[in-house]
Amino acid sequence: MESEEKYMETIKATVVELKKKHFIKIETGDEEIKIPISEDKPNEVKSAFNKLIARIKMGEFEIELEGIGQDLFSQVANEYVTQLNREIQEVRGEMKAYGLVNN
Amino acid sequence: MKIDIHTHTKKCKSGDASTREIAPIDFCETIQSTDVGIIAITNHNVFDLDQFTEIVDIIGDDAQVWPGVELDVQEDGVRGHLIVIVSPKMAKGFSRVLDDITKDSTPDSFKTTIEQILEKFEDFNPLYVTHYKQKTPNIPDKALEKLMTRTANPRRVIKEVTNSISAGIYISHGHASIYGSDVHDWSTYEEKSHDLPDLRLPIENFDHFCLLLEKDPTTINTLLDKKIAEILNLTPFDDATLLKLKVFNDINVIFGPKGTGKSCILKAIAKYYRDTGIDAKVYEPASDRLDELFDTRGRDLSLNLNSYDINYCKDEIEAIREASEGGITSLSKYEIYFRIKSTNKNAKRIKLKDIEPEEEGVAKREFVEFNDFVEKTTEFIAFLKGHTSVKKELSTEEIEEVTRILSNLLNRMVNREWESYSGWKEIYLLNSAIEKFRTEVERKTGSPAKPTTTGFREYALNRERIEANAAEIIKSLDTNIQIFKEAVGSLGTNKGELELRTEFKFQDGTISDGSLHKLKAVNKSQQKMFAKTVREIFKHAYEDDLFQHVAKLNAIEDVEKIETVYELLLFKRYFALNGLQYSPSSGEASMVMLQKELETDKEVYILDEPERSLGNEYINDVIVPLIKEIARAGKKVFISTHDANIAVRTLPYSSVYRRHGPAGYTTHVGNPFSNNLVNPNDEKDRLDWKKVSMRTLEGGEEAFGERGKIYGND
Repeated sequence: MESEEKYMETIKATVVELKKKHFIKIETGDEEIKIPISEDKPNEVKSAFNKLIARIKMGEFEIELEGIGQDLFSQVANEYVTQLNREIQEVRGEMKAYGLVNN
Repeated sequence: MKIDIHTHTKKCKSGDASTREIAPIDFCETIQSTDVGIIAITNHNVFDLDQFTEIVDIIGDDAQVWPGVELDVQEDGVRGHLIVIVSPKMAKGFSRVLDDITKDSTPDSFKTTIEQILEKFEDFNPLYVTHYKQKTPNIPDKALEKLMTRTANPRRVIKEVTNSISAGIYISHGHASIYGSDVHDWSTYEEKSHDLPDLRLPIENFDHFCLLLEKDPTTINTLLDKKIAEILNLTPFDDATLLKLKVFNDINVIFGPKGTGKSCILKAIAKYYRDTGIDAKVYEPASDRLDELFDTRGRDLSLNLNSYDINYCKDEIEAIREASEGGITSLSKYEIYFRIKSTNKNAKRIKLKDIEPEEEGVAKREFVEFNDFVEKTTEFIAFLKGHTSVKKELSTEEIEEVTRILSNLLNRMVNREWESYSGWKEIYLLNSAIEKFRTEVERKTGSPAKPTTTGFREYALNRERIEANAAEIIKSLDTNIQIFKEAVGSLGTNKGELELRTEFKFQDGTISDGSLHKLKAVNKSQQKMFAKTVREIFKHAYEDDLFQHVAKLNAIEDVEKIETVYELLLFKRYFALNGLQYSPSSGEASMVMLQKELETDKEVYILDEPERSLGNEYINDVIVPLIKEIARAGKKVFISTHDANIAVRTLPYSSVYRRHGPAGYTTHVGNPFSNNLVNPNDEKDRLDWKKVSMRTLEGGEEAFGERGKIYGND
């Protein structure tokens, strides 16, 4: 646990606007994870979650949201990422308990 | 028990091997390691009374040791060997006489005559064993005849030949024959003793043996009376004729030409025992029943997976089949929360609703861990206190010390258990309070509360559980189950042991072997589809199409029949020889069925022509020894047979001979020891057991040729 905390990776995220739609864009290196925040698209969120779970199996990490403004979507994204980080740590803990992590 | 009438303990002649020398203690140890129960010491022209006495003292009741000597006899210029054996009671006198006649010569130079032997030893009522024919140097026929005609009891003259085959041939031609080890090297005696003659009847002493040689009826009857026997009153035939048979807890043979009612007698015997509550039935060879007997189709086949630490996966399969995608928190809830600012003053005052919920999982897991430890340690302390082996191994103080340390540890762990429990519940209550306050503020003010979770945790854990369940099922399916091997029987020394093999395999999604059968009533293609789909579910646990695979699993026909991995078992059951699949011929099937019958523990064995389809070699090497073993265990064996290998080589305590003559059907009862077969309805109607056996039974002459192995009669 100690060594994991020591080497916990930080993954950058930003709020991006594409075609007047807002997303939280998480840079995991291999692929881009996009969570739509300006409209309800549960399947896209679930798909993003699946990618995050796969990433959790690789190792512990924390998402750091950059460029947080005062606009509505920045506030939504900030709150969402805060909660997401807490839940990622919980899921990682459960995975370890079940022996489902890769390392 | 075996008998050896010819041994050497000393190197007497210059030509004797030094390996014939043996010290009394070594002699006794060697004999004690064999089945030899009677042994005669017959050195060349020497009898060492001191050595004999020492041996008798050491060996005690483990064997009878008879005093004897192997004498050089010269008759008509021809030299031969003759063994004289006397009762141990006469050892001293025997020693004196021998010393007297040998005092002026050496063992190399000594020679005697038949006349001198009779003069000096006849009063001892000895047993004369002459080297005969191929057993050189032999006593010439003329000298032998002299011995036979001048001795008081010619039945005490036995011809020593080289081996069991020769002995049997001479016996069948009316010569009393036997053979001994004539040991040259004591280091090989134990192995060679297996070939020595068996004693079918219990011999109490030297005189007893001689009486049996003389076929003394009282002696034979006394011996037979010692054996447990009973009288069976049977009515085996349609005409209601009563057949009264004395049968022994040993081998009882019924023989005679075909069509004389032997099978009827066996059926009547079986009925007799069944009526008294003993499980008895007539065994008849039927090679086509081998598959049925060994259940090669696996009708009654089952397997306890727990014995192999294989999880049945009932819960896992049920969980996967019922799995569904969990919901997540809608992003619009966050947007609405931040868009509509709460203006309610009271709502603003309630700060609890704004606290971030805490993670509960770690605290819960910590509690579960301590709780598990406390439970197991409590059980272990109770186990230690109650276990008799621990009490035997440890002193009371040691048990108290171990218990004290464990109890201290347990107390500490109980404290930690409570701490972790209260820590977990603290978080749980806080989170519940936050959630409750948020909901209430939202309800009262109309202002949406801030969502407490993105739904990621529940979403991920749901998939984790699916992955873990699929992994557990796959782990079971990937377990190799050892091949079960069951001995079926011997196919003879050349071919080897036939075995029944049962292979179990789980359908793991890849098996397409037509020789494997389903164990349960689930179609093989459905089994395969099920296993394959579970693997896909595992592979796609964190992919968008996961639930398409779950749906595919549920769409498999009769999927509800697959409740556990047991329903995915396949099996193959087959006979194997030397590790390879083998189809026994009908003769071989008969062999192993008979062996199985004989190896089944019963009180009464009733075999109707067990020799059918079997070769002589197999009957001799496998079946006859098995029958004898059963008889030695005091079981009743009834055999109807045409085969001399069985009727003669087993030397049955009771022989029932059925025949059909001018006077109709008759029954004669007897045994090979008296060599008589007597008609119970007419005591004068007597037959010669040996002659009848040789004439009636298939392979009679050859069987007598082999019978020399067994001392019974001449």
